[in-house]
Amino acid sequence: MTAPEAVVRARDAGVARAGVEVVRGVDLDLRRGEVVVLIGPNGAGKSTLLQALAGLLALTRGAIERHGRVAAVLQAPALARRPARANVEAALAWWGVPRAQRRERALAALGAIGARGLADRPAGALSGGEARRVHLARGLALEADGLLLDEPFAGLDAPTRAELLYDAASALRDERRATLVVVHDRAEAWALADRVLVMLEGRVAADGPPAAVFAHPPSPEVAAFVGFTGRLEEPGAVRLLRPQDVALDDDGPLRARVVRLVPVEDGVRVELRLEHGRLVATAPAPGPSPGAEVRVRLTGGVSFPR
Amino acid sequence: MNFIWDGVRQAVDLLAHGDHDILVVVGTTLRLAVLSTLLALALGLPLGLALGLGRFRGRRAGLAFANAGMGLPPVVVGLVVALLLFRGAPLGRLNLLYTFNGILLAQTLLALPLVAALTAAAVQSLPGGLLEQARAFGASRAQVSVLALREARVGVLAATIAALGSAFAEVGAIVLVGGNLEGSTQTLASAVLVRVSAGEYGRAIALGIILLGLILVLAGGLTLAQQHERRALLGRPS
Repeated sequence: MTAPEAVVRARDAGVARAGVEVVRGVDLDLRRGEVVVLIGPNGAGKSTLLQALAGLLALTRGAIERHGRVAAVLQAPALARRPARANVEAALAWWGVPRAQRRERALAALGAIGARGLADRPAGALSGGEARRVHLARGLALEADGLLLDEPFAGLDAPTRAELLYDAASALRDERRATLVVVHDRAEAWALADRVLVMLEGRVAADGPPAAVFAHPPSPEVAAFVGFTGRLEEPGAVRLLRPQDVALDDDGPLRARVVRLVPVEDGVRVELRLEHGRLVATAPAPGPSPGAEVRVRLTGGVSFPR
Repeated sequence: MNFIWDGVRQAVDLLAHGDHDILVVVGTTLRLAVLSTLLALALGLPLGLALGLGRFRGRRAGLAFANAGMGLPPVVVGLVVALLLFRGAPLGRLNLLYTFNGILLAQTLLALPLVAALTAAAVQSLPGGLLEQARAFGASRAQVSVLALREARVGVLAATIAALGSAFAEVGAIVLVGGNLEGSTQTLASAVLVRVSAGEYGRAIALGIILLGLILVLAGGLTLAQQHERRALLGRPS
């Protein structure tokens, strides 16, 4: 079986902002039928890369090929001051969709993202979450070959974000379309992605299925970004660990001292110092006292040669 | 104080009996205000869009020039236009001096910076990302311009009100370029000047009241439309 056609293909793509190269030598393919999530810290170059892939920013080097029409849903919802459906219809008009088809396609897209009831609501009367839904509906309505979404869940409270995330996870699945979503949060990446790209300092530092990238990051930098917050020096290697890789166990082989406790939703986050490193574990509240000596067992982690 | 009441009574009389001279002056004033505003909008809206949204060398200088143009002394503009229109001057062959088209040219030049600068300010204050998003959905330059003007329509109406207001109020440039000729280039504001000079205070007050009435009706109507738009834009009942 051959791989599906790449709708967007970047080779050695570089983009500068204000004279500083913020995207450096990126190679990537976006294929029909897959949802690719681009994740990375602030300033990594995610939004810049997305705008370059959409053709909104010029490259300083390399090339980007587009096979089909590609639309970008930018970060700010920025709706025109007219009703929600008129906003979607305006996007369809800009896209070149004949007037006769616009109403039906606008309503279908609003329905797909759970915003059918907002169709006649003026943009100024929409809440942040509702505006984001209408914004997303504009992108879906275009039926583009490639759809690039820049942080579609930004600025929403947790319940609203979760609700929109689950609706988007199903609405974005389309065999005819290549989809790229820029997100900040690993939970969003898990919910959406067939493939995850981790971007660090302008480069794609990891590329693969979410389970592989998040459980077996290819470099210490990627590991640190995806939640491997513990670090132990071992002979000839450094071992990075997530909180779930560390268990407080009276019979554990390692001795550690509790440095700090931070209450979290399901217990306490315990920061530990060891002879050759530091670890983070989670434990049921109230947890050990700060300064106490505890025993630790390691159940996972990834090692990188020093 | 009696002459003030005389003036008011005279104004009512003139209006009630449809004084021909007054109707001619009102007609000239309205024609000048509407045509110069339309011309200033036709030229100033694209210019304001370019100055507000464009990315070209000299944009800031153009913007500064338009902003400075809002404060141009009309007498100086009138003087320059009149000098250019004198026989033998660069525009002398157009034969516009002391004609309605001459004062239309002068008033359009006065209104143009108002429309351009206020339009530029209005489109620059649109929410961030609105126009970029339209471009990202494939909007052409013309479609982005229409969107910008539509979204900034409260500001564009303000520019229209300013242009109309300046036409109603203008005296200096009109007298210099048009010669204040009764029946062709005399407007309500310049007619007031003549009546005061002639000591006809009653008639001057009458003309002034009519002028104020026109300004109130036109500017008031546009302001109501503007505020209706604003409420509609904010999604509130009007």
